[in-house]
Amino acid sequence: MIGIKGIVQEKGGFAMGKIVLTFICLLFVFSVSAEDLGYYRVHSLKEGMSADEIMQIMYHNKYSLFAHDYSSTNEVLYVDSGGFTRKKSATRQRLIKGGEDGISYKDLVEVTYPTKVKGLAILTWTYEDPEKDQNVWLWVPSLKKVRKISASQDDDAFMGSDLTVEEVSTRRFEDEEYTLLGEKKFEGYAFEHNGEVKYKGNDCFVIECTPLKPHWYYAKRIVWVDKETGGGIFEEYYDKNGQLFKTLFREWVFMDVEGKKYPTQLALECKDLRTGHRTDIFLDNIVYDRQINEQVFTVKSLMRTKW
Amino acid sequence: MNDKVSKTLFFLIAAVYAGVLFSSSAQAAYLGDKIEYAGYLETEVWIKNNNDNGHQFLTSLKNELDLGIAYKLSDNWSFFFHPRYFYDYAYSIRDDSSFDENQEKMGHTQRTEWLRDCYLDFTSPQLDIRLGKQQVAWSQADGLPFILDRVMPFNLSYFWLPDFADIRIPLWMAKVEYSPWLNSSIQFLFIPDFEASRSAPANSAFALKSVNAWDNFKKLNESMGGTAEETLYRPHQDFENSRIGLRWRSMTGGVEYTLNWLYGHTPSAYTYTDSFTPVIPTTPFGNYKVSRRHKVVHVIGGSFNKSFLQPGPFEGWTVRGEFAYIHDEPTYYGTEGSRRLTESCDKYNWFIGFDRYFFTNWLFSTQFAQMISADEEKQGYHILSGYTYGVMEDVENIATVKIATDFMHERLKPEVLVIWSDDNDGRIAFKTQYEINENLWFTLGYYHFWGPEYGSNGQFRNNDHTFCEIKYTF
Repeated sequence: MIGIKGIVQEKGGFAMGKIVLTFICLLFVFSVSAEDLGYYRVHSLKEGMSADEIMQIMYHNKYSLFAHDYSSTNEVLYVDSGGFTRKKSATRQRLIKGGEDGISYKDLVEVTYPTKVKGLAILTWTYEDPEKDQNVWLWVPSLKKVRKISASQDDDAFMGSDLTVEEVSTRRFEDEEYTLLGEKKFEGYAFEHNGEVKYKGNDCFVIECTPLKPHWYYAKRIVWVDKETGGGIFEEYYDKNGQLFKTLFREWVFMDVEGKKYPTQLALECKDLRTGHRTDIFLDNIVYDRQINEQVFTVKSLMRTKW
Repeated sequence: MNDKVSKTLFFLIAAVYAGVLFSSSAQAAYLGDKIEYAGYLETEVWIKNNNDNGHQFLTSLKNELDLGIAYKLSDNWSFFFHPRYFYDYAYSIRDDSSFDENQEKMGHTQRTEWLRDCYLDFTSPQLDIRLGKQQVAWSQADGLPFILDRVMPFNLSYFWLPDFADIRIPLWMAKVEYSPWLNSSIQFLFIPDFEASRSAPANSAFALKSVNAWDNFKKLNESMGGTAEETLYRPHQDFENSRIGLRWRSMTGGVEYTLNWLYGHTPSAYTYTDSFTPVIPTTPFGNYKVSRRHKVVHVIGGSFNKSFLQPGPFEGWTVRGEFAYIHDEPTYYGTEGSRRLTESCDKYNWFIGFDRYFFTNWLFSTQFAQMISADEEKQGYHILSGYTYGVMEDVENIATVKIATDFMHERLKPEVLVIWSDDNDGRIAFKTQYEINENLWFTLGYYHFWGPEYGSNGQFRNNDHTFCEIKYTF
């Protein structure tokens, strides 16, 4: 939960009397806390929303908390500055638990390519409590057994990519303070993979996010949130010297699921400006609400792996 | 396989590697919707660093072909077939006598046609059944097989150095896993098949000291006019001799636990002296009748793990543990280097392990284990190590530390594993994998052993090895 300090910063440092401040605080608690956003509902961005409200919805969309379950196939390309490319593929299934037993969602990722790591499967349970780490189990093909493992550190690279674990799966609304910098038209992003320019002229909220963790791997990030889909389409990461060192682009579309419009990520491109290395992720075969059985997200299910 | 064929195969494989080195195109791993396949072609070389009179430097030059094919019969049923073939070229190009004279004995060290897996799978939300040749691993421990990882026999041709999935010998069995409720399941194993664990043959690079000692004694005994008649008793592969296992797995309060029970013949064969008639009085030389037998034992145990998820001093740590009570395990007794008795003894083995990531992506994993024997002495003789016939304590301590990380977007993955046991006995293994392209991997390893002559690792103290492997996957 964000503190009073955050709200004061968000409002540009305006001074209020104690009673007014308390009122705002209570209003905030009852209007935009993670729990009150509600699972299994699509939330849209509206004019006049605060930075906190916008970011709540952005996180809600990022983790597909509007759906009951989600599955996709993912292709990850690792491209170095010379153009040398490596590929990994995986399938991903997610079950939104909606807070039952304190669990927000359960994830199962199974690596399908390359063969050297084929069969590696990672089962993750993510809890509602923002202080609580994830529970992680791994099917290790070289041991042919399930190993309970410590959750990766949040600033570790996700599957060796330019994205960190936090950027993919563990960062939450409560991890940063937010300031609304304004509403702007996005200049467009030239997707390096195919040269296409995306989202040129889209209306966006621009938000500055400051991590609450001291000495973190970034000092701030600027996030462009697309007003139409509610997805964070572009992020700029700055170090403590104010130097831009990484950009992250996400392509969002609406998927029509039984009359409901689900905001859905189709692709990501993350560039490390220091090394020239980039990671492209493409999500395909996306299916929502196919009633995946919760038994899929158990250790027993991990042991089904053949490879 | 004759030399001409093996040379042709060797150069053919070299040509394949050269071809794929400059190709990074991804191969399709699916044939239609129903068939999925994956495999690899691998060359591995083991070079001995410390030469002695018994061995030359080249221990192994092995080419291996592995293929797994999965066929989906329906949403619930699938079939998996996984053969593997290898040929060790070192046996063809070496001409030193100590290597060649064991050719016959080293048959399955040199070349093996193994069906690694062949099973039919039924999966449903509550019930999973796997029927056929497969492997099952129970342990929470890494590299400590003496606690609960006792379902499968082991192939110790390269001691405990390769991956455990390759050391375990698969068996034909039925595995049934039923989940009465979420996150709890009971596993039932019915194993009518029997395969004995294998150790490396006498005088090979990783031959156990006890194996070499018996081989050497037989030769000496023969030269003194004695004989040794050896009989191997394997359990008949019938219903009565089938092994049975049960495991209950569940979670409570964030702690995941298992309760395990295994009953049946030991995969390891134990040596018994059935009769001895001296030919030279007051000496050990004479006519021996020796049998190798597999005995029925009970294994009862359990395991647990817990990750500390909340902020605090233990946040980020995972703790794992395991305990096994082994009832009536055959155990050797004697004096240093000399087995006199084989008697049943109860064992209490356990371990506890801790894992955590530090400095972003450095995994630190440590384990402490004890092997406790109920009877340190029998008939005035001391308990012995089955590996070396070295004298053991009734409580043996083992500690392991593993550190692993990665660089270059997971292209370069170094790790180091150190194992210590009592009497400053141990080994250290360095291993680094490098991804040349997504289908081609290079691995370089180094194994260093130290310790007393009769230590389980110390027996290989003149046997340090450098290992490299190139693997093309498809």
